Amino acid sequence: MGPIWRALLRNKSSYVLIALQIALTMALMVNAIAIIQERSRLMGRPSGVDEENIFQIYSSSFDPDLEYQSMVAADLDLIRNHPGVVDAVLTNSMPLRQGGWSQGLAIAPGDNSDAVGVAIYFVDEHGVGTFGIDLIAGRNFLPTDVRWFDPDGGPRWPETIILSNAMAMALFPESTAAEVIGRVAYIENNLPVTIIGIIDRMQAPWKEWSGVERSMLVPMKRGDDFARYVVRTETGYRDEVIPQIEKALADRDTGRIIDGAQTMNDVRAAAYLEDSAMIKLLVFIVSLLTAITSLGIVGLASFSVARRTKQIGTRRALGATRRSILRYFMLENFLISTVGVLGGAVLAVAINIWMVQIFALTPIAWYVVPVAMLALWIVGQLAVLGPARRASQVSPATATRSI
Amino acid sequence: MLSMQNISMVYRTETVETHALRDFSLDVEEGEFVSVTGPSGSGKTTFLNIAGLLEGFTSGRYSLDGKDTTQLDDASRSRLRNEKIGFIFQSFNLIPELDIFDNVDVPLRYRGFDSAERRRRIDSVLDMVGLASRKKHLPSQLSGGQQQRVAIARALAGEPRFLLADEPTGNLDSAMADSVMELLEDINSKGTTIIMVTHEPSLAARARRNIFVRDGQLSVEDAGLKVAIGS
Repeated sequence: MGPIWRALLRNKSSYVLIALQIALTMALMVNAIAIIQERSRLMGRPSGVDEENIFQIYSSSFDPDLEYQSMVAADLDLIRNHPGVVDAVLTNSMPLRQGGWSQGLAIAPGDNSDAVGVAIYFVDEHGVGTFGIDLIAGRNFLPTDVRWFDPDGGPRWPETIILSNAMAMALFPESTAAEVIGRVAYIENNLPVTIIGIIDRMQAPWKEWSGVERSMLVPMKRGDDFARYVVRTETGYRDEVIPQIEKALADRDTGRIIDGAQTMNDVRAAAYLEDSAMIKLLVFIVSLLTAITSLGIVGLASFSVARRTKQIGTRRALGATRRSILRYFMLENFLISTVGVLGGAVLAVAINIWMVQIFALTPIAWYVVPVAMLALWIVGQLAVLGPARRASQVSPATATRSI
Repeated sequence: MLSMQNISMVYRTETVETHALRDFSLDVEEGEFVSVTGPSGSGKTTFLNIAGLLEGFTSGRYSLDGKDTTQLDDASRSRLRNEKIGFIFQSFNLIPELDIFDNVDVPLRYRGFDSAERRRRIDSVLDMVGLASRKKHLPSQLSGGQQQRVAIARALAGEPRFLLADEPTGNLDSAMADSVMELLEDINSKGTTIIMVTHEPSLAARARRNIFVRDGQLSVEDAGLKVAIGS
């Protein structure tokens, strides 16, 4: 290895550029992987609901004489009794929809209490079953807990609520979920609500929100002409049921528009569209860079073999086997790659520290750097294999030819 | 030492068949200094390549130091070259990126000697060719004569049974050529067999035996060379 290294040092200019290219590829690869990991982690967070079997559908009415509560009751009755449907609920939003309501909840009454922000899902006693969420403490709503919102002077909030575990822990960090049951929280500063149940998880509608895991089910139905129904089907029936429900609702009342049928999977895909596009773009860029780098290695090694044909012949004449020649070029590339990946490791960490400071990115996992080094070493060795094999085929008789 | 029996070498392309050597037989005894002369294209280089195991041949039989080389695979031929033969090339064929020490080290590494043994041998041969003080120099920092001395040192470092020299003075001025020839004569006097290809009659005449190659065949030996030179 010594003579190869010394020879490289005496001919630095040819190899510095390729080592630099490897270093840049490595730095970009590592940081792209860090971003991809970060985005994948965000995308991989469970919403808490039965995503595979849920869809939403809208009813928009323009009838000035619309009996909204009757319409909702008839619609839900129709949907819940439809074959293949597990349950359905009138609600205002769903996880990842990127639009919804939030409110502050405090553990003490008064204007000066510190309220914790929480996403609100208005549901009835079918909410837990429709979303397919796990109740880990307390109980579900009873029909008697549920009320219609009365804009003409009725109570603004019902008396009971169900919280996500994350919200319960945000309010009562020292308690277990079971201990939170029966505790009172305050909404709009002074209105007491009793916590009757804790669900394991149900994300807020906004994926970027720092409190995305904090949500609250409120046993209240509200609306005047627009209704969003969330429907859960039996496994495997969703896509079959959607057009049937669309048609059944439209047929039941022709004086309205039934629209917006969208599966939870589509809601998720739309919410993470930018993230998945970013991941694809980064994968493409890193693949392209790696391909360019490997082509660079192939080019440099091919040029190097062509330039040193006589030298290779001489080495063969002096006793080198084909294997020795192959090993020589592989080792030479390994040394160049090592300089590149070591430089790249330093550069990658420096860029990552900068990105963590500027973009609040999570620092790269420790193993990404060695994995990227290994990947580029392997890429380098594979790229040089062709030229190295050509070199090993150079005849020893080349040594005596006058070129 | 070296025995070629009825060696033929034919290069074939789609349209042309070239007989580089025809029915070529030669025996070289241990300790000889043989010069090989002949016009361009006569087959001198092909003879040298075959003798040096640098390429194979179409038919015939070639034994080197008692070992039949006909059926040897590439790796065995490489090992045999490395152990038995030292090469000296017209254009020295030093590796420009390596210093003198590392250049001489090249065949020793392929032999698999440990570093102490390699160092001992390199120091010894560089001392013998008078370049012990230049071992950290690059080839480009030496004169042509000095470079050829390095190449001779490299050829001798493995203590081969014989040296194959291809126009060893072809790129040198007469003073340098003379000094290189003296060195070769000195090496030969210590027992190393030398076969030297040259087109210089005056140098060929300094060998103990001369062979002349024409049209791929051994044309005239010994005194015949003088006839050829005179014609």
